Amino acid sequence: MYTAIGAGLAILAVIPSALGEAWVCCHTIDGMSRNPEMYGKLRTNMILSCALVETTAIYALLTAILIIFVAK
Amino acid sequence: MILASLDFSQFFSTELAGEVFSSICVVFIICVLAIIVSILARKADPLKKPKGLLFIAETGVNFFDGLVSNLMGPRFEGFGGFIMAIAVYLFLSFIWGLTGLPSPCTYLAVPLSLGLIVFVLIHATSIKYTKWKYFKRYVDPIPIFLPVNLISMWAPLLSLTMRLFGNAIAGWTLMTIIYWGFAKIQDLIFSAIPSVFREIVFTPFLTPLLHCYFDLFSGFIQTTVFIFLSMIFISMEAPEEELEKVMVKGGK
Repeated sequence: MYTAIGAGLAILAVIPSALGEAWVCCHTIDGMSRNPEMYGKLRTNMILSCALVETTAIYALLTAILIIFVAK
Repeated sequence: MILASLDFSQFFSTELAGEVFSSICVVFIICVLAIIVSILARKADPLKKPKGLLFIAETGVNFFDGLVSNLMGPRFEGFGGFIMAIAVYLFLSFIWGLTGLPSPCTYLAVPLSLGLIVFVLIHATSIKYTKWKYFKRYVDPIPIFLPVNLISMWAPLLSLTMRLFGNAIAGWTLMTIIYWGFAKIQDLIFSAIPSVFREIVFTPFLTPLLHCYFDLFSGFIQTTVFIFLSMIFISMEAPEEELEKVMVKGGK
């Protein structure tokens, strides 16, 4: 049971990651509405930075998976 | 492997684990494609427009050469082939998950070796452009920072490796859990139908969407991120003063 609790605590790291992704999207849409001709460039950059921010969440998921299946 | 404890990789009666088998398959496919393209390119008439596979290959080479000269500058012209090779291998190994076998990136040795290639290239570029000043990076502001610098040296390798490995293994684990859960739900809801028909009620219609996200979209994004990051890491190592000199010379 303690393993499950530990994995659940490890996955809590997705909260700041989700907030960061929301921040990226918020500012991209802000920029798009101010400067519509930059739409294409901003979208590409937004997807790239979202993938970068997502990395933290993926580390957390990896840690949780490792705790469940390996550390036992 | 990690997932060996769950018997995920026991697809074959042979000794090979699933990840190793799919890694060999992906390399084999790339070898065959490269041989076909090279034969086509040798036979082709350079005055005519290329067709079919050769056209796709030429477009890809042009695209990656343009990307490298845009992002890394004129000093790194030869890196187009390397970047294209990594991109093709990564994308193929991610969409290999569509076959139902685990993607090669779920085998830690594959992302680790890709990360090691980039890591060695970063330091080789640094040595090439800064010569003996290369060792100055370890005592950067003051010599007390030596242990910190020695540890932070490994950060690019760790982040590149873990990003690929984490993505692939997260997608693979989630897909396995989803397949298992759908099978359980179908067993509960449609317990009146015989089990052969029970399995095809809604799993074949729902899982392709998730495969699209975890294999195609995630694979494409991770390939892009990996090649962009490695290009930026490598081109950061070259000092900028030299670039200005080259540009001034070119201008004159």
